[in-house]
Amino acid sequence: MQNASLLSSLLFCLFGTAWAALYAWAPVRRFVSVQAWGWMLAAWSGLAAATLFYVGWGPAGLMQSDGAVMRSSWPWAPGMGMAFTIHIDGLSLLMGLLVTGIGALVFGYAGHYMAAKEGVWRFFLYLALFQVSMLGLVLAGDLFMLFVFWELTTVTSYLLIAYDTRDAAARHGAFKAMVVTAGGGVALLLGFIIISMIVGSSDLAAILSSGEAVRGHGLYVAALVLVAIGAFTKSAQVPFYSWLPDGMTAPTPASAYLHSATMVKAGVYLLARLNPAMGFTDAWFYLLTCVGMATMLLGAIIGLRATDLKALLAASTISQLGALTMLAGQSTPGAYKALAVGLLAHGLYKSALFMVAGIVDHETGTRDLRRLGGLARAMPATLAVGVIAGLSMAGLPPLFGYLAKDALIASATHPSLPTPVAWIMAAAVVLSGACIAAQAGILVWDTFIAKPRGPRPHGHDPSWGMLLGPGIPAALSIAVALLALPAASRFASAAASAAYGAPVGAALTLWKGLDVNKALGLLAMGGGLAVFLGRRLVSRGIPKGREVLLPGLLGAMDGAALRTVRTQTGMLHTYLLVILCAGAAAVVWHGLPSAPSLSALRWDEPWPALRIAGCVLAGAAALAMVFMKKDIHAILALGATGLGVSLLFLVQPAPDVALVMIVADVLTIVILILALQRIPAVCRLEADRLDYVESRSAYRRDGMIAVAAGLLFAFIALVVLIDRPRDSVTAAWYALNAKAAAGASDIVGAILIDFRALDTLIEIAVFALAGVGVYTLMRYASPAAGDADTPSPGEATTDLLHTELVRLLAKGILPLAITVAATHVIYGHAQPGDGFTAGVILTLAVAFRHVAFGWERSRNSKAWMRPMPLVALGLSLAIASASISYIQTGSFFGYVDYGAAIGLPLPMDAALSSSFIFELSIALAVLGGGTLVIDTLSRPRDAIAAEGRPKTWNS
Amino acid sequence: MELVIALTLGLIFGVGVHQMLRRNVIRSAMGLVLVSNAVNLFLIHCGAYRGITPPYTTIEGQSSDPLPQALVLTAIVIGMGGFSFVLAMLYVFALRDRTGDMANVSQLKH
Repeated sequence: MQNASLLSSLLFCLFGTAWAALYAWAPVRRFVSVQAWGWMLAAWSGLAAATLFYVGWGPAGLMQSDGAVMRSSWPWAPGMGMAFTIHIDGLSLLMGLLVTGIGALVFGYAGHYMAAKEGVWRFFLYLALFQVSMLGLVLAGDLFMLFVFWELTTVTSYLLIAYDTRDAAARHGAFKAMVVTAGGGVALLLGFIIISMIVGSSDLAAILSSGEAVRGHGLYVAALVLVAIGAFTKSAQVPFYSWLPDGMTAPTPASAYLHSATMVKAGVYLLARLNPAMGFTDAWFYLLTCVGMATMLLGAIIGLRATDLKALLAASTISQLGALTMLAGQSTPGAYKALAVGLLAHGLYKSALFMVAGIVDHETGTRDLRRLGGLARAMPATLAVGVIAGLSMAGLPPLFGYLAKDALIASATHPSLPTPVAWIMAAAVVLSGACIAAQAGILVWDTFIAKPRGPRPHGHDPSWGMLLGPGIPAALSIAVALLALPAASRFASAAASAAYGAPVGAALTLWKGLDVNKALGLLAMGGGLAVFLGRRLVSRGIPKGREVLLPGLLGAMDGAALRTVRTQTGMLHTYLLVILCAGAAAVVWHGLPSAPSLSALRWDEPWPALRIAGCVLAGAAALAMVFMKKDIHAILALGATGLGVSLLFLVQPAPDVALVMIVADVLTIVILILALQRIPAVCRLEADRLDYVESRSAYRRDGMIAVAAGLLFAFIALVVLIDRPRDSVTAAWYALNAKAAAGASDIVGAILIDFRALDTLIEIAVFALAGVGVYTLMRYASPAAGDADTPSPGEATTDLLHTELVRLLAKGILPLAITVAATHVIYGHAQPGDGFTAGVILTLAVAFRHVAFGWERSRNSKAWMRPMPLVALGLSLAIASASISYIQTGSFFGYVDYGAAIGLPLPMDAALSSSFIFELSIALAVLGGGTLVIDTLSRPRDAIAAEGRPKTWNS
Repeated sequence: MELVIALTLGLIFGVGVHQMLRRNVIRSAMGLVLVSNAVNLFLIHCGAYRGITPPYTTIEGQSSDPLPQALVLTAIVIGMGGFSFVLAMLYVFALRDRTGDMANVSQLKH
């Protein structure tokens, strides 16, 4: 069943995100004020809220029947049984309305609050991204989808906390929040995996209906603990709570939204969500109630010590989150009723209070309770909003907060609880209720009414637009309780039913007569008054805790890193030795093959003389390198080795490979000589002297390692060569299909450009990237390392090459090379040679021009030959051609002969086909990558010095 | 003939290892080229041995094994790209420490 209307709220939030990003554009900023933009974003959010409202109260809405669920599913990863499912029931609806409704107010408020700040678009964008993530989280109908959105809220929360990137405290707070909640996220993922393994599906509806299977499974406790860790970290429970106070460095609108009304509720939401599947066990009850109760008391107590408005609000938020977790653990209808009311009431009054704190901060420039005071006369409207929200927080009738507290007490005294637990719980609830009431009193009294200790802070009421943010939730806190109690009851019972898993009747009433619960409520009030009056005394009595968990964890990680670094010598020599020895050990451990009998050797291959010549050339040249003192000689010997190797390729017979080997060998030599020119000869000679003269023993040791490595390799090669097959298994098939499937009579070419075309595409991408890497190193890292002021090399000189004859040759080299390369590209599929050869030949021509004309002139005279565009052109041409082939033939890189299709007359063996286009793009990409290397390595030092250090993206 | 090839392979590989272990930056890089040459040569010899004609559909006769050829061709080009990157990296390291001596390149671990 697909019902796109369920997606609409998410889509509106996405539109809002795009709209927020639009504010990055300067002309928009010039014409529209930040405030106006904020309210526009609020409108998007409001639309999202309206669609959710329609889902709930529309003609066929959720409120029509108990336990109703609206679902809609789109395929996501069907192979893994995952779908993009929207699952809306009472609980999702409640959270969704909080996310979008309070989101709208926060956007409007943020426009005013952030008006003077720079880079506001960034804030809007993060906030909008968070909104999408959070809404996705609460609407997700698949565990893994929920997890993805869960992590996204972590990331956006990180970005918002560290919004002021220049503030070290903000960065620290963001880092901490990220480490704690993302760490919890890992646990959560593991828990989700276990649950979906038990149920056999990650679909929420399937999981919720298989509670028996989950609870009865051996891995239930593991899953419970893992999921609980995820929820506890997100909802700032003991012992993970400390990220929340530190996260208060976020701009206040973000704190109001993420860190009180929505994101921190995600953990509680998740627990409530999974209650039908995982709840109703002793493990669930004790884990959640103990942790929740501890958190509730801790938040209630540390808040009394706070001197910062936001710290106080954070502490009471922690306390409230603890209470909600405790309720989630009880798995009784009453507890879930209290949970639903608590989620709503807290969302309303706490976001209002945060925004009030933001207004006070914005107007007076301080949030310090010791400096604030006496603002009542200057800010009467703010005071009114603050008092209403504060009374709701204190839990006084007839405000919404009272209903929440009443329900909380009722569930704490529920008769189903075991006796000692019931007593402890009731006492804890009363104690924390008293502390929270006192906190609310401190908040309002010390800010607005008490006499300031220092000079009276300046400030006045903000514009009505800014007051609207906290004003509306505060007004709702009264209005709901007084005017819309039945509707609120209905709403809360829908949410509670979803969390409980069966219909819950939640009739909310303001007063039914005095009973134990009301008496406890009055006791909490009285206690609150007492604590408020004695707050100086109480706050002095609260010990200052010291944080151990995170610093300890980070310290342990640092220690482990230090120990790991100690095993590193930092010397290439050692690393190579380790790699070689490990490689040899792997071979030996795998089991050395038994020595082959020499009688199995064959001596009947064709062209034995050529083979032996190739072996002698390659081997002798390689051996000569060991004895050559001058590096330039060794480089030339290396070239000779390469030529010997290509001769051996040729007698395979493998003409294509031999051709590529020759040009690649030459290019390697050119690159080496260019590099040789850059490294001062003195340095190299010094290195050689140390090597050969001073440490003879090390030299001999290396020699022995080399001999051992060579013998091992020769032995393995011998075994493999003797055992190799007589006939190829695949060759016949390739021979049969090459012409038909790839239009190539060159089978190797057909494999490269058709049968294994994706390999080739990746390969040219790697080659081009290597070129870009060389460019980056030489352009950015080497000037930083002091390239420009390194003395010039003394060994190689290019004066000899600057003769008229050489220049004459160089003038003709490029056209000649282009002709040869074109031949290779056009006839590559029918004859030896291909795009690689073409690309390397062109690169060599460019290198020759650099040598003959000098870097500057050579580059300037061929302005069209810029490596980066060539790389881009080559790669995009290959992908575009492959995509067109896909449309034409249904297979990526499929063969299409365009020339034949349009009846183009072409000479024999030439074809305007997809193979031709791919060869061309290979040539371009290789040319681009090769030219990047040549260009940057042959770039003269004075050019580097003249340009100075290039701009980086950081500066 | 396998014996000759195998010994040559071993020789090139051994010299490559020896060169890689040198202090001189350039030599170290050259060792890498030798090792990859040896490996490419080894790979192409892993294919079927009976072949006297190049692998073309237009040429009659017992053709050589095309698959290892295509793979080695790819390996040669990638090897060249990787080699130039390694060379540039060694160069920058050496430059930073004002030395051509790999043993003096001391900041690899930071």
